[in-house]
Amino acid sequence: MSKFKKLVDFKNWQKSTKTVAMVILAILVVIFVLSSLNVSEQDMLRNASPEIEQIIEDEKTSSRKSLTITYNDLGVISYISFTTSGASALKESYVGFAGGIYGADEGGWKFAGQMVNYTYRMLGTGENLLHGVKLTLLLTTLSMIIGAIFSVFLALGKISENKVISKLSSAYIFFFRGTPLLIQMFVIYFSVPGIFGFAWRSLFAAGDPEAVYKGAFIAALIAFSLNAAAYCAEIVRAAIQSIDKGQNEAAKALGMGYGQMMRTIIIPQSIRRMIPPLCNEFVMMIKDVSLVFAISLMDITTISKTIMTSEGNYLVFIPALLIYLVITAVFTFIFGKIEKRLSIYE
Amino acid sequence: MSDYQYILKTENLYKSFGTLEVLRDVNLSVKKGEVICIIGPSGAGKSTYLRSLNQLEKITSGKVFIKDELFLHREHNRTIHRAEPDAQKAMLLEMGMVFQRFNLFPHKTVLENVMIAQVLVRKKSAEAAKKLAIEIIERVGLSDKLDVYPSKLSGGQQQRVAIARALAMEPEIMLFDEPTSALDPELVGEVLNVMKGLAKQGMTMLVVTHEMGFAREVADRVVFMADGMILEENTPKELFDHPTNEKAISFLRSVL
Amino acid sequence: MMKKIFALALSLMMLLSFAACTAKTEEAPAAAAAASSVDMSAVKLMQDGVLTIGMEIGYPPFEDFAEDGTTPIGYDVDFAKALSEKLGVTVNFVNTAWDGIFQGIGVNYDCVISAVTITEERKESMLFSDAYINNYQAVVVKADYAGKVESFLDLDGLAIAVQKETTSDILMSDYVSTGSITATISANEKITTCFTQLENGEVDAVVVDSTVADGYLASNPDKFVKAFQDESEPEQFGVAMALDNTALQAAINEAIALLTAEGFFEANVAYWFGK
Repeated sequence: MSKFKKLVDFKNWQKSTKTVAMVILAILVVIFVLSSLNVSEQDMLRNASPEIEQIIEDEKTSSRKSLTITYNDLGVISYISFTTSGASALKESYVGFAGGIYGADEGGWKFAGQMVNYTYRMLGTGENLLHGVKLTLLLTTLSMIIGAIFSVFLALGKISENKVISKLSSAYIFFFRGTPLLIQMFVIYFSVPGIFGFAWRSLFAAGDPEAVYKGAFIAALIAFSLNAAAYCAEIVRAAIQSIDKGQNEAAKALGMGYGQMMRTIIIPQSIRRMIPPLCNEFVMMIKDVSLVFAISLMDITTISKTIMTSEGNYLVFIPALLIYLVITAVFTFIFGKIEKRLSIYE
Repeated sequence: MSDYQYILKTENLYKSFGTLEVLRDVNLSVKKGEVICIIGPSGAGKSTYLRSLNQLEKITSGKVFIKDELFLHREHNRTIHRAEPDAQKAMLLEMGMVFQRFNLFPHKTVLENVMIAQVLVRKKSAEAAKKLAIEIIERVGLSDKLDVYPSKLSGGQQQRVAIARALAMEPEIMLFDEPTSALDPELVGEVLNVMKGLAKQGMTMLVVTHEMGFAREVADRVVFMADGMILEENTPKELFDHPTNEKAISFLRSVL
Repeated sequence: MMKKIFALALSLMMLLSFAACTAKTEEAPAAAAAASSVDMSAVKLMQDGVLTIGMEIGYPPFEDFAEDGTTPIGYDVDFAKALSEKLGVTVNFVNTAWDGIFQGIGVNYDCVISAVTITEERKESMLFSDAYINNYQAVVVKADYAGKVESFLDLDGLAIAVQKETTSDILMSDYVSTGSITATISANEKITTCFTQLENGEVDAVVVDSTVADGYLASNPDKFVKAFQDESEPEQFGVAMALDNTALQAAINEAIALLTAEGFFEANVAYWFGK
C-alpha cells in the first residue's frame, strides 16, 4: 500500500523520474494520435493504379498468381505494396502515415516504406512464435531459464567433494564450452534422431504443416539450454566461491546441512553477483540465436539476410541493428532492476 | 547436578597442516558452568583448537568427548570412531560459536539471522522461533534493530547479534573465537558486557581472547597456549600474578 | 523465486503450445481438388494428400520470398505447384537451410525441389526425377566489359566472384588449380554478394548458373551483360527423393512428361527468365 502511495505521490518524485515520465507520456500521446490517424487497409488498397487493378481482376480467374499484395501495419505507420513476380516485375508501393497516403516508389517515402516492411518482417508480426523477434526472445528466454536452473546443479556438482560427480560436471562444462554451439545443434538436430531412429517433427501432429519448424525449435531449445547450462555453471560456480568462507562456517556451526546452507545462505547471496555476468551471457545468446538459420528457423539475422539476398538492399541491416539494440537495452534494464532489488541489504 | 563429569574433554589432540604442526597433544577438560579463557601469542593454535572442537577443522589425531561420551576419535588422519550421525548432530548443537568476524548472514535481517537455524535445524515453528529470537535479542540489547540488515549495524552490534544467533540454538557450551579482535576499541566493552552477563548466568564458555582484563575478571581458569601446546593452566589470579612457564612470563610481560 | 521462474517457464510453454494450435495451415489451391491426372495409388506421402517439399527459400529467381516475407515465389515454386496439381495433391513448402537439406528427405519432407543439380555422386544416395530445366555455367560482366570475354580462358588475370561450393566455384577452382588461367577467386555465401561486388568494381566477372544470371539480368537490364555461356556441358535440375521411393519418382516423372506436353516449362522459363 505504501508503495502505491509513493507511486501516486508524484509531487515528491525525483527530478529524473519526472523527466522520464514526461518523455514516456509524450511518446504515448504521439503514438495514440498517430495510430488513431492511421490509414486502414481498405483505403490503402483503393490506391492501387488501374494497371494493378487490372491484374487483380485478371488473376481472379487464372491459376497462376503473379501478384503479391503486402500490407504491413506497424500501428503508427503502414505500408502496402503490389509486386508481380517473374522477369518483368512490376512494383507499386504506398506509405500511410498520419492520415495521408504517399507513393513510396522513390525518395524518402521509399526509404520509410522499406523500413516499415523490413521491421514488420523481422518482428514476425502476423506469424507464430517461431519467427523473427519472437523466436529470438522465446529461444533465449526459455533456454536461459532452463540452462540457469540446470547450471546450479552443475556448479554444485563441480565444487562437490564427491570426485565422480565433480569430474562428471567438469567434463560436461568442458565439453559444452569447448565445442561450437552450431555443431552441438547439428548433432542434436541431425545425429541424435539418426542414431535413435526418430524425427523431431514426429513430436507434433502429422497434419501440422509447421511440425518441421516446431521440431527444429525443440532441438534448438535443447542445444541452447545444454550449452547455456555449461556457461552459466561457470558463472554460478564463481559466484558461489566468491562468498566469504565465514558464511559457510557460520552455517555449519549452527548445524545446517549442506543443502540448507546452499539453499538459504550461499546461493541467495551469490545470485546478486551472478546477475551482471548472466546478463552478458543473455546478450551473447540473443546474437547466437542466429545460428538457428542452419536448421530452418528464421530469426532476426536470418530474415535480414534473406531480404538482402532477394532484394540486394543493404539498408535492411539498419532496422535489424535497431531491433537488437532495443531488445538488449530492455533486458539490460530488467537485469539491472533485478540486481538492484537483490542488493537492498547492502 | 549433572550425570557426567566433564561437559567437554579433549585427549591428545593433534592437528597439522601439511608438515606444519598446529596443535600438539592438547588435553583439556571442561566442567559444566566453567568459563575458560585461552590466551597466548598469535599462531599458538588457540583458534584452531576451538574450531576443531565443533568440526570446522579436521583433527589429525586425538579424542573429543562430550558429556563423557566419545564423540570423535581419529589417528593419523583416519577416523577410528565417530558418533552416529544423529548423535553427532545433537552433540554439535551443544556448542554455539561466535567468530572474530561475526559472519552474520548479510541478506537476512537481525531477526531472521537469529531465527533461521532454529527453524531449519531445530525444526521449530516460525512463531516459536520468533518468540525466542525476540527474547534473546532483547537480552543483547538490540530490540530496536529487529528488522535492520547487518550492514547497517556497528561492529559491536553485529557481534551481539552473532552471540544472540548462537544462543538461540540453546547450546550448553559457547565457543568464542577472539570475539572482540575485529572491533574498534570503543565497541569492545558492549560485547564483553554481554559475555559477562552470560557467564553470570552459568553458561559454559571457552573464550579465545586478548582481553586480559576480561580473563582475570570472568574466567574460572586461564589456559596459556604457545606453539600448539598448553603450557600453563591455572586460576586467573595465579596465572597472571605468578606465571611459571617462561613463555607465559614473557607473553604476559608484553601484553600487560 | 524458484516458483516464479517455473511459473514463467510454464506460461511460456503454454503460449508456445497455444501458438502450435493456432498455426495457420496452408490453404489448398482450388485446382488441387480436381482429380489427379497421374496414378498415385502406390505413392506413400508423409501426410496424406499433401506433397511436402524441402526448399532453401533464398535463391532467386528459383525460390524466394515475396515482399510480404511469407509467400514463396520463383521458378521452382511455380513448378512445384503445377506438379502437385498434376499429382492431385496440395503442396506444403518447408524452408530449409541448404546445409543438411538432403538429410531431411523422408524425415521432414517427401522431396527436395531447390535448384538441385543431378550428379552421379548424389545419385548414390538419392533418387532424381527427370530434369525439369537445363542450366549452363555463365560469365556475367559489367555492360562496358561486353565482348572482352568469350570463353573461360579469357578470364585469365581477372578477379572473379562465385557462390561458395556451387558448380561455378568447383569449375573455377579447377581452371585455376590446373594452371589454365590465373585469377583471384572470391567465394561468397550468397550470389547477391557476388553481384554487389561486381557492381562496386571489387571483381571483374561473376561466374554463375545461366538460369540465375538470366533472372538477374532480366531485373537489372542496364547494369550487366552475360558475356559467355558454356553450352558444351549442360547441368540439369531435378526433384530429389529418398532412394527407396521409386513410386513417387514414377509419379513425378509422369507429371513432368504431362507438363512438358502442355508447354508448361517454356511458359515458366519465359515468365521467370524473360526469354
